[in-house]
Amino acid sequence: MAMLTVNGRSYFVEDAPDTPLLWVLRESMQLTGTKFGCGGGFCGCCTVHINGEAMRSCRIRLGDVEDAIITTIEGLDPGSNHPVQLAWEQEQVPQCGYCHSGQIMQAAALLADNADPTDDDIEITMRGNLCRCMTYIRVKNAIKVAVNIKKSGANL
Amino acid sequence: MTQNFSRRGFLFATSAAGVSVILSTKAEAAGKQIVDLLNPNSPIIMPPNFMPSVWFTLESNGRTTIHIFKAEIGQHVGTAFAQIVAEQLCLNWENVDIDYPVMDSNTFEKYQGQLTGGSYSVHEMFDKLSRHAAIARVILLEAGADLMGSEVEDCKVADSRVIDTIFDQEISFSEILSETTINYEILQEDLENADLIQRQNFKVVGKSLPAIDIPEKLNGTARFGIDAYVPNMQYAKIIKPPTRLGAKIISVDDNAAKGVDGYIKTLSISFPDQAKHGGFITDVPVVIAKNYPAAMRAAQLVQVEWSTNENILVSSQTLMNDAKTLVEEKAEGVSYFSVGNFAALDKSTLNNQEADYQTSMVAHSPLEPANALARYVDKKLHVYSGHQGGPLLPSFLGMFTGIAPDQIIFHPHLVGGGFGKKFELEALILASIATLKTGEPVKLIFTREDDLAFAHPRTSTYQRLSASLDANNKIIGLKHEIAAGWIEFGETGMVKPVVNGTAQDTEERLQLFSLTGADHWYDIENTDVIAYRHRKLEAVVPVRAVRSVANNYTVFSLESFIDEIAHQTGKDPLDLRLSMLNGQGINAGGSDHDLHPLGIKPFWNVSPLQPSASINGGKRLANVLRIATGLANYGAKLLPENTAHGIAIAGAETRTNPSFSACVAEVHVDPASASVTINKITVAIDIGLIVNPDGAKAQVEGSILWGLSNCMFEKLTIQNGSVVETNFDKYKWQSIMNIPEIEIHIVENGIYPSGAGEPATSIVSPAIMNAIFNASGVRLRNLPLDRNELLSGL
Repeated sequence: MAMLTVNGRSYFVEDAPDTPLLWVLRESMQLTGTKFGCGGGFCGCCTVHINGEAMRSCRIRLGDVEDAIITTIEGLDPGSNHPVQLAWEQEQVPQCGYCHSGQIMQAAALLADNADPTDDDIEITMRGNLCRCMTYIRVKNAIKVAVNIKKSGANL
Repeated sequence: MTQNFSRRGFLFATSAAGVSVILSTKAEAAGKQIVDLLNPNSPIIMPPNFMPSVWFTLESNGRTTIHIFKAEIGQHVGTAFAQIVAEQLCLNWENVDIDYPVMDSNTFEKYQGQLTGGSYSVHEMFDKLSRHAAIARVILLEAGADLMGSEVEDCKVADSRVIDTIFDQEISFSEILSETTINYEILQEDLENADLIQRQNFKVVGKSLPAIDIPEKLNGTARFGIDAYVPNMQYAKIIKPPTRLGAKIISVDDNAAKGVDGYIKTLSISFPDQAKHGGFITDVPVVIAKNYPAAMRAAQLVQVEWSTNENILVSSQTLMNDAKTLVEEKAEGVSYFSVGNFAALDKSTLNNQEADYQTSMVAHSPLEPANALARYVDKKLHVYSGHQGGPLLPSFLGMFTGIAPDQIIFHPHLVGGGFGKKFELEALILASIATLKTGEPVKLIFTREDDLAFAHPRTSTYQRLSASLDANNKIIGLKHEIAAGWIEFGETGMVKPVVNGTAQDTEERLQLFSLTGADHWYDIENTDVIAYRHRKLEAVVPVRAVRSVANNYTVFSLESFIDEIAHQTGKDPLDLRLSMLNGQGINAGGSDHDLHPLGIKPFWNVSPLQPSASINGGKRLANVLRIATGLANYGAKLLPENTAHGIAIAGAETRTNPSFSACVAEVHVDPASASVTINKITVAIDIGLIVNPDGAKAQVEGSILWGLSNCMFEKLTIQNGSVVETNFDKYKWQSIMNIPEIEIHIVENGIYPSGAGEPATSIVSPAIMNAIFNASGVRLRNLPLDRNELLSGL
């Protein structure tokens, strides 16, 4: 049993403390936007924010994040208008879309840390987020678009 | 045309609004009565919809829903189909929706196939959807004119409305359908006379409209198969067998698992031997628990005793050696495709060249692993999943579960990556059996380890190319021998041998999808493609269709070999190719055989009205090759040391549905370390008429990087009859690192559309390997790229 704070709401769940956070989110909370891809932290489909850092929820135990602030794709922005989401739509990034909850959460964490990432920054940060449809070219472009959206928003 | 329809007298019924239109003889057309919960004595009239065909429905509010029976696997097929319908129906794009209807045992017949693969969807449906929508437009035109009291000849349709151009009045589709009930279902014989809007007047087709399915993929609301939910469902996890095929369960001991909180039971599921033909299913224990983590914990504690088949405890290397033996001994070789008579050439007078190539197995590895939710309620088996073969699932699942197909309902979900893997059935069969045995809804999910253990990879191949050149160094004979496991799809794809463009009247059948790509578009007087079916391999691994299927190995070897011949004879590889791409004979394209190859039905159902997509094939290949090499500055660019261009072409997916593509790879090879850097990949592709240019470009981008990944990384290996790679730490593929610069040019020429989703995958590997040779002098004949092999050659 555990108390969790996800997307600004408090939850009480009955899962065992060693349950991977991914399955708690998906099954106990029906927050299915976070995806299961490999279970080993290799693909990034299950990326969520824990205290602002992008982390692989398949590798995190429920018992370790009881006091943490957890954000999933569903809670990234109330109107789905986060600069990364807007950029992803503008650049028409997703194909099947399965990995893109994770891609977007990873990219949002990057932009929070680094207002102007270089190509190397983007590659290094995103290299653990695999995409089998191979949308990498658009992922790169969209992150640059998101940077600009964020900058122009700040100037308003 | 319009008058034809007027004479037919479409059946319009008067609605409650009472405006008299053309007579209706069917009372039920006037709207169905339904109970008003607050006043059962005063029924509510449900507004009727206008559904002139199975493909779309217009509501009285003016919205049109396009019904998508193809699986959404990331190709945005719903958007493409909606654009085709919106074009011919003259819909305002704001009024367009798509849905993914439920499927039952009638779906396959009623919708004529609707399987999702082979980059076929737009090719298969463009003509059909266009004609149905065009006829619906004329019906609405007549209804609108009638309501306005206008002459049909004075009216036009635009922007979801009928406009009387003489009297300057108009009526919207919404108003028409609010005031009348149109009760007409388009007949097959109507289609021939459809008044199609022509390409030069297109407003929707050819526009890069945003994909309808993308917004929900950005905020977590998209529902993939793995997200399917029904209350009180239980979760299931399989225990993988010790070998890919042939293992049988002797006993299952779940005592240790009983201590796991949430554990329910383990089902030992076995199948009769005949059900295992083709490797669609194997014996598997299925662990059931209240949640998936409990199922995973319990699965580790369940002890399973297995028996294995000694004959299949082999390795990839053994299978490759066997494949080589097939080519060397030439036993049971069957000619798949021939032109002229290669065997009859007098080789003693010719310059004969030969080279052998090998390609590895490749796993689909969609990021959404196999999964299915099944429940049995009211004597119906409901299955929820994302699947590329949805319309066939009732009959397939019926075979494996004993439930009559007409009692099986499939609820399609988005597919989290298909690439062919989501044609497979294990998860759906096992979830179905589990729910039938437990009486509870069961959601079965493969872990990544399970998904790789149950690989249906692309076959490995051993191929030999032989060419005979005359005194002028002209290739007058080309033989392509292919030892490969064949895809088991039953009769589907089993085609007759083709000689000089004509299917032969023999008993012989060959698997098109295991050989396609070798039936090239070069004008070579004598060509022969010989297939050796690798049955030993098929007994160990059930090989199947992986994105672009056989093209990935046939085009690799063929296009590498063409370069080798060019270098042997002192010709530029570009010049040599262009000299053979004149569209002569069968390479002119457009033949009946190209359109309707024997045996390919019922996988795809192109309509008899559909034009050929292969017309001018050879010349279109020459054209894209000129474009790609031009864009890349081939032969003219000043390249740094140890850097070179390499080229390749293909007419993938098949000669039925060919997309003509050419690739130039600019590659640097470090001679000291054998490190290979792909600087740039340039692709020109001709898919005929383009429905959504940006959507097509996205598919080509993905295809290029898929090809790059296959070339640089992907190798599934077998040891002791089992898949070695267990997860993505061992099965390596392309990440966002080291993506080359990509330049894509899509040729738009209005020829009937062919597919965009796969064809460009196959040209990347040979272009890179040819560039490596040009940069380093080392010829690599194996896929994937082996840096040690390159290093030892340097």
